[in-house]
Amino acid sequence: MLTYTLRKLLMLIPMLLVITFLIYVGLELTPGDAVSYMVGPDALANMSQEKLNELREALGLNDPFIVRYLRWLGRALRGDFGYSLTSGVPIKDIVFSRLPATLELSVAALLFSTLLGSILGMASALKKGSIMDVSLTVAGMIGVSIPQFFFALVSILIFSFKLGWLPSGGRTMPGYTTFLDRLPHLILPALVLGITMTAGVMRYSRSSMLDALSKDYIKTARSKGLPEWRVNLLHGFRVALTPVVVLVGFRLPMLIGGSVVVEQIFQWPGIGKEFVAAVRGQNLPLVMMIALFTVTAVLVASFLVDLITALLDPRIRLE
Amino acid sequence: MVYVDTILTVDNLHINFYTNNRCNEAVRGVSFQLKKGRTLCLVGESGCGKSVTASSIMRLLPPLSRIEEGRIIYHSEQGDIHLHELAANGPEIRSIRGAEIAMIFQDPMTALNPVYTVGFQIREAFLYHTKMAKAAMQQKAIELLRSMRIPAPEQRVNEYIHQYSGGMRQRAMIAMAMSCNPKILIADEPTTALDVTVQAQIFDLMNDLQKKHNAAILLITHDMGVVAELAHDVVVMYMGVAVENGPVEEVLTKPAHPYTSALLKSIPVLGQSRSKKLEPIRGSTPDPYNRPQGCQFRPRCDFATEKCLQEPEACSVGENHTVKCWHWEKVLANA
Repeated sequence: MLTYTLRKLLMLIPMLLVITFLIYVGLELTPGDAVSYMVGPDALANMSQEKLNELREALGLNDPFIVRYLRWLGRALRGDFGYSLTSGVPIKDIVFSRLPATLELSVAALLFSTLLGSILGMASALKKGSIMDVSLTVAGMIGVSIPQFFFALVSILIFSFKLGWLPSGGRTMPGYTTFLDRLPHLILPALVLGITMTAGVMRYSRSSMLDALSKDYIKTARSKGLPEWRVNLLHGFRVALTPVVVLVGFRLPMLIGGSVVVEQIFQWPGIGKEFVAAVRGQNLPLVMMIALFTVTAVLVASFLVDLITALLDPRIRLE
Repeated sequence: MVYVDTILTVDNLHINFYTNNRCNEAVRGVSFQLKKGRTLCLVGESGCGKSVTASSIMRLLPPLSRIEEGRIIYHSEQGDIHLHELAANGPEIRSIRGAEIAMIFQDPMTALNPVYTVGFQIREAFLYHTKMAKAAMQQKAIELLRSMRIPAPEQRVNEYIHQYSGGMRQRAMIAMAMSCNPKILIADEPTTALDVTVQAQIFDLMNDLQKKHNAAILLITHDMGVVAELAHDVVVMYMGVAVENGPVEEVLTKPAHPYTSALLKSIPVLGQSRSKKLEPIRGSTPDPYNRPQGCQFRPRCDFATEKCLQEPEACSVGENHTVKCWHWEKVLANA
């Protein structure tokens, strides 16, 4: 178990290297560079070639690709992620200032979707074929198949413009001090993000529960004279839980990476929105930092999923 | 006529399955009496309704099935209990399940929950039928495993089912079923999934338990060898009908139903000469949704006549030996 954990953690290092390198290559292939974004188009047209070159030299953009990558890597290893090319603010500060907003939104959505999704899925499986089951199945299919941006726009249209109940975007306003002040801003994005995730968890836990309920050991449990709640929860749900936990586990990276689409539409000042801005601005150091963050989160999450499934299912042994 | 020592009476049982808007009459008229300290074998080919009959006694039928007609009466020490009238998962049947009537299933790998220890699953049975403390339950679980001849039970009790071998799994299953000393043990093909060598051990254990606790065993099987070895009484089923019912010596030596007779002829016997050919039953089992009229065995029967288009009634062949065939006298004479 301990050796497994250690080996898994050591494996993260080469994976991170390869992935960061690939992202660096990808960004290199995109047209333009930070200078063309930093300097306005008018100024760019008037600037002399020497001046531009000077600027590029100062930013280290003229060095060969591999040198730039290694330089970035060396600094990153020392904990220095550099400065934003567009604003000059240390990247660490940018990311850590965005993180609370992203965490707030994704923790809300993840909790809401996991709890609601697994409860609805279980109820649906227990009452298979009932009106509730059929309508939940239809709702689940709709939730899974309609894209988030559509949900987001429709909900803004209805709840902000037509009804005026909730703000259409942003996270905070001047004069807001407590979480409760911000809560109205959180509701819409969290619901939109949560709904598609709920639908997924629900569909998944329903089929997983149905599978568990059809097993022979359910009949054995009944034959011992156990009450129905115990049969359904301890023998049905407990076994059905494993695949649902895996699904939720793979959503954990969202906690750090944020949701690009939802944050963008609701102008939520989280990491996802920052990421879009950074890619557009060819802001290489910032893109790399966020990518590194997200990749690490994905790798750690898959490691956690392994550990949790081994804890939940005694047949799985980590070796 | 209820005998003093009868513990379970199944009388004219009819069970229907409703699937895809079609109705399958899985069990259509099964009657037998299970007696204390004796073993009754329900014999028949796959799909003849023997497992359904067994499940219906504990009211463990799947949701799309229903007991249409007939009675299942458990003659408990507190008086007769009409099992067929109880609510499917209600408190009355739950107090009987596991405590008075227990069941073991065909495949112990799927019949035991993979995510709980064997000890946990045995303790669960005590939880609702006794008022033992947890430590006492654990102790009892270890004792049960030991009585099932499972080595190192103190350690095995905390292991999971995937750590057990096939035979050990079934022994753990029996330990679980016997945990509350049930009066009736229903065994649904308990050895079909096991090696022949392990089969003997399992039956040995069941025999011991029967002697020790005077339990009645209802054994479902399709293996005539097992019947000859273990049964005191036999019920032969074909297409949901109990075609022949009687003491084992009578039924095996003087089969009065053409199906029983044909079944016995189709079994290979050890030491039988190579030149003697086995006689398989001709034709195949009819579609349960498109049943023959009258006697279900008619299309495959050598004795069939015009009269067989009417459903035969139970005729008495000997003491406690009944058969559902119009021509049973001819069958007996022919044998």
